[in-house]
Amino acid sequence: MSNHNGTSASSDRVDVVIIGAGPAGSIAAHELSRQGLSVIGLEQGFNPDTSKYPRDNPEWELIAQKAFNSDPNIRDNPQDYPINNSESDIHPLMYAGVGGSTVIYNAQWAPLLPSDYRLRTLDGVADDWPISYEDVEPYLEEVEKLVGVSGVRGNPAYPPRKDFPMPPIPLGEATKKAIEGFDKLGWHWWPAAFGIASVPYNELKPCVRRGTCHSGCSEGAKSTADINLWPESIKRGAKLITGARVSEIEVDEHGRASGVVYIDRTGKTKRLKAKTVVVAANSIGTARLLLLSKSGRFPNGLANSSGLVGKRLMLHPYSGIIGSFEDNLQSWRGPFGNVLESYQFYETDQSRGFARGARWSIVPSGGPLSVSSVFGSKVFEIDDFDASWGKALHQTVERRLGRTLIVGILGEDLPLESNRVELDDTLTDSDGIPAPKIIYRIDENSRALLRYHEERAVEYLKAAGAVEIQVASQLKHAGWHILGTARMGDDPETSVVNQWGQSHDVPNLFLVGASTFVTSAGVNPTATLSALALRTARHIAEQRRNLEV
Amino acid sequence: MAWTQVPSLTPELRKQFAAIADLLIPAYKDFPKASDLGIETTLLDRVLTARPDLIEPLVRGLKSVLGHDPKASVEHLAKSDPPALDALFTVVPGGYYLNEGVRAQIGYPGLETLTNETPYAPPFYATDGSLDRVLARGPIYVPSPGSDAKGITDPFRLKSP
Repeated sequence: MSNHNGTSASSDRVDVVIIGAGPAGSIAAHELSRQGLSVIGLEQGFNPDTSKYPRDNPEWELIAQKAFNSDPNIRDNPQDYPINNSESDIHPLMYAGVGGSTVIYNAQWAPLLPSDYRLRTLDGVADDWPISYEDVEPYLEEVEKLVGVSGVRGNPAYPPRKDFPMPPIPLGEATKKAIEGFDKLGWHWWPAAFGIASVPYNELKPCVRRGTCHSGCSEGAKSTADINLWPESIKRGAKLITGARVSEIEVDEHGRASGVVYIDRTGKTKRLKAKTVVVAANSIGTARLLLLSKSGRFPNGLANSSGLVGKRLMLHPYSGIIGSFEDNLQSWRGPFGNVLESYQFYETDQSRGFARGARWSIVPSGGPLSVSSVFGSKVFEIDDFDASWGKALHQTVERRLGRTLIVGILGEDLPLESNRVELDDTLTDSDGIPAPKIIYRIDENSRALLRYHEERAVEYLKAAGAVEIQVASQLKHAGWHILGTARMGDDPETSVVNQWGQSHDVPNLFLVGASTFVTSAGVNPTATLSALALRTARHIAEQRRNLEV
Repeated sequence: MAWTQVPSLTPELRKQFAAIADLLIPAYKDFPKASDLGIETTLLDRVLTARPDLIEPLVRGLKSVLGHDPKASVEHLAKSDPPALDALFTVVPGGYYLNEGVRAQIGYPGLETLTNETPYAPPFYATDGSLDRVLARGPIYVPSPGSDAKGITDPFRLKSP
């Protein structure tokens, strides 16, 4: 192996090992390999079998409820680790595999807003980030070109920006109905941006609106790292080892990361030496791995001199308000993430009695099984048998199929140290490694936020002409966004990493992904965590001499 | 999708399944009841081929209520074996809405493939004035402190309705 400067590197010591092949780890691998560093990615899951994704099979909703369920405890694959969520108000959702949770996400591309980086200054709550919107924005536009994003510029909820790389995804009857309600009230809406191709783009094909984004995109239109990042990185010499579950980050006598220990799918334990270690294992997996990596020098876990590893876990509180309409809106059609977004109530208004706000997604509603138990779970079912079954089932499907829009309220979750990830005392994964335990409680700010937004959403759906409205408040199976647990900051006593994702304690250890988020914002995190991953990778490459890479 | 018959589901268990299925999905208007479609035969096997994880709890549950009245069966499973009841609640509508006749009645075409021949043409909301009305209301973001962006400089300008 040789590095960018042509000096030889030890054949058994890679420049950078990256743990996790989700969006953050894959973007980091792409950038570091582009800059000539030797890179090995370790992913506990496998390359997704895209032939299993729903395409035209009538059984697709049934299959999606199990094989593509976003809850690892329900999916129950050997490569997933179980999560003890018995003390959590929200269950964390994720996917183990190349592409990570983007394999089953809806590809909503919603960067943090300027105010999201300055909560303490603007609203007197939580903390400011050590970086600003303006610091991140150049990387955001660059990463959008890399992964492929479609959208319409000019959204007045954001500062002015350049065009998206692709025109917007087509929208249909459901969007027209959704606009009606916003227009009547004079409230903000905008056609959302997506990490989905609308035209041929690198390895991506144009979206055909099957609406199965959350079950794997059989068309190859949704941007996931298995399609559009790793093939190129591998061509440049990067190596990706799947089925590799990292159990520990090792350190040398100087307290620097020296490599990792991992278990392959045959059960063999292996060691990999690296000059720099990047952890990209989502906020739960990252905290779990750092806490597992105890040593004499780091008795409380690696990079944890602040005691904050695992703490300040944030999970966006989420409510869904279902509105059914008389018109057939064909609301089984995609994109499934939303047909519109709104930031009308995103920024803080003190008169509401709570801090911050929420992004709204106006969501379509899927096929007959989805509309009879929206989102494919029983969260919307009523305990009363007669209200769910018999004649009522026929009536529900008749009333809702194709005629339903859901206002998805994604609320900001203020960080609390009491909300945290720990190692479970008894539960383990299939390799016998302690599983994570989540202790998470919704706070009063989130409750007040959801109450207010639910009332506004009912007002909106009435204005749009809904004939039936049902409020599903604070859903438990809604932990799509796992944030915090290793926050960034300037002060080593109150943060785990600096603004570059570099550990304050271990200079050649970097974290990428939403684990470093200081606050949660009220938006989907993939856009921002992707931009930050690119920013960190570029910093590693630029600082390679100082880092001894 | 090819499917295979599940051998552990005996004729007696399939009969019990059909009775419970008719309780969950009876005839309604022009819609048939579940057993009219053969819910206990091909449709059941199709569902379980797609979801083999449901075979074990379903068979277990049906064995435990064999010969019982359908309503009593559901009540018994709700108390004694919720995972088996969950399996029933998934398999019955899962099979019913696979039937092509029912799908036609509810107007569901299944997964559609909609290609866009004019991806660069302005979308309807850009040409009918909808987007212009949003833009006319002006920026609603709060800019970074100290930046020269022209968003809303008073973070509390957005008032509750």
